[in-house]
Amino acid sequence: MKRFIHYDELARDSRFIRQDSAANNLMSMLPDDVDVVVDVFEKFDPLIEAATRGTAAEPLYEEFGPAYQLAVLNEPIRADDPKLMERLRLRVHGILVGELQALEGAARSLWDFPEAPWDFKMNMARQAWDEARHVQIQEKILAHVGGEIGQYPESTFLFEAACSEDPAMRVAGVNRGLEGLACDVFRDMIRYGEAAGDDTMKQAMDFVLADEITHVRFGSEWVKEFTRGDPEYLKRTQDFRREVDKRFSFGGARSARSDAAIRIATQDRLDAGFTQEEIDEIATLSAGGPSKDTLNKAVAILKERHKARKAAAAQSAAE
Amino acid sequence: MTEETRLYPGSGRDERTSFAPYSAFDIPADLRQLHGRFDVESVALRVRNWRYAEEWTMMTLGGWVATVPELPVKTGLGKIIWDGAVAADDLGKRLPELRCGTRAGQMGSQAGNQGFASFIQELAAPERPDQTIEKLAGVFDVLKPHLVRVYEKFNAETDQICDAPTIEILEDIVRKTKKHIAWGNTVLNELCKTDADKKRRAARVAQLTAQLAACGGVTGEEAVVSH
Repeated sequence: MKRFIHYDELARDSRFIRQDSAANNLMSMLPDDVDVVVDVFEKFDPLIEAATRGTAAEPLYEEFGPAYQLAVLNEPIRADDPKLMERLRLRVHGILVGELQALEGAARSLWDFPEAPWDFKMNMARQAWDEARHVQIQEKILAHVGGEIGQYPESTFLFEAACSEDPAMRVAGVNRGLEGLACDVFRDMIRYGEAAGDDTMKQAMDFVLADEITHVRFGSEWVKEFTRGDPEYLKRTQDFRREVDKRFSFGGARSARSDAAIRIATQDRLDAGFTQEEIDEIATLSAGGPSKDTLNKAVAILKERHKARKAAAAQSAAE
Repeated sequence: MTEETRLYPGSGRDERTSFAPYSAFDIPADLRQLHGRFDVESVALRVRNWRYAEEWTMMTLGGWVATVPELPVKTGLGKIIWDGAVAADDLGKRLPELRCGTRAGQMGSQAGNQGFASFIQELAAPERPDQTIEKLAGVFDVLKPHLVRVYEKFNAETDQICDAPTIEILEDIVRKTKKHIAWGNTVLNELCKTDADKKRRAARVAQLTAQLAACGGVTGEEAVVSH
């Protein structure tokens, strides 16, 4: 078995549908400019449409066009939202595939770095078990909100962004970038569980968050250990983590903004070994993308153009 | 005036205490006998060999999680990976107790011989997503049953009192490994419904069992029986 695999090699059963991750990756580079956001999503429209065919995302695509994910994911999950269940299913499905990729990332670290210290292997083995349980938990939660595996497409951009071939960068990407994002998401899900009176959701997400904090702590400790005595290596590793964090901010959907869909879980991150300075930096990085107002305007334009295209296509078919 | 009960023995014959030699807690009597088949050095060597097998199996399973498509296999392997790491860790922690140096546990894995190292390489060779049968058959039909037999035989033959800490570790590993084998068997039975798939499983088992027998198993000194 070779060391290091490409994200295309992540194996899935027939329920899963893969989505090109180019649009996800571009989100981190978008400026706060409605026209640019619209242009980018129009460019990726054929890819996005293809990935939604035959999935539960198809009606969303039909309604919103290529920016359906922006329309659904850019808003916080609120118990009184008329589209609550749709948003919940889409988010929980996203969490499930994220956990799956975290499982694969942690487990691959065991094979990809055979010379790593034994304590590192112990931590990665433990994380592999934890992430495997998280996948099982999210399968149950998905069923709890009426969803099922494969009903939405999967983007592998989390694995793609986080799984470096360098051990310090791998733990910086997976354990601090990806698992740090998980802390933000699970804190948000706990808030939702509390607001909605959904104790099953709240308790499960609370346990998962406790695990994720432990995984971030593994990452905080191993980045220090791997880069000990090599400030230049530490700097490269921190730069890599910044890049991952920028990508994982989804153009500001995860940020410190008061209207963010997912707020940065400051206290949980502090508990996990992030410094206040690092958290402030993530807030700055994630604030650099398009504002929510910009995204909402872009969504409205894309939705109108999508409707117009559909109407034109229907007209020409009728003729 | 009654004679005082003597609490502590003195140096003379008449200065003994009057406590009975056995209490209720010592019954039944300890029937274990001293002297096992292995001395400290040979136990330590075996622990290193077993640790090598547990560590590399755990790492191999870690490598496969991403390349097996079946979701319950991916998630099922998570716990088995952790159990394997704990087994290797417990074995490693035994090494300093067997005069292998205080840091022996960190780097205590040692292949029984080059043949077993080659066996592990072959075990880990399948990587395509359509090779789940070959991946799992190697670990759950061949290697883990072999390790259980080796551990149980060792536990029966080693000094039951002097080497009790090794026995305790192996008993725990055997208990968990039997669960892993049962899980693997269930999964493989599910995956091998057709004659063609059953043949693939049998062929992989035959190939690896022959290789394991040729190298003398995990320690290089074991008789290898087919599953």
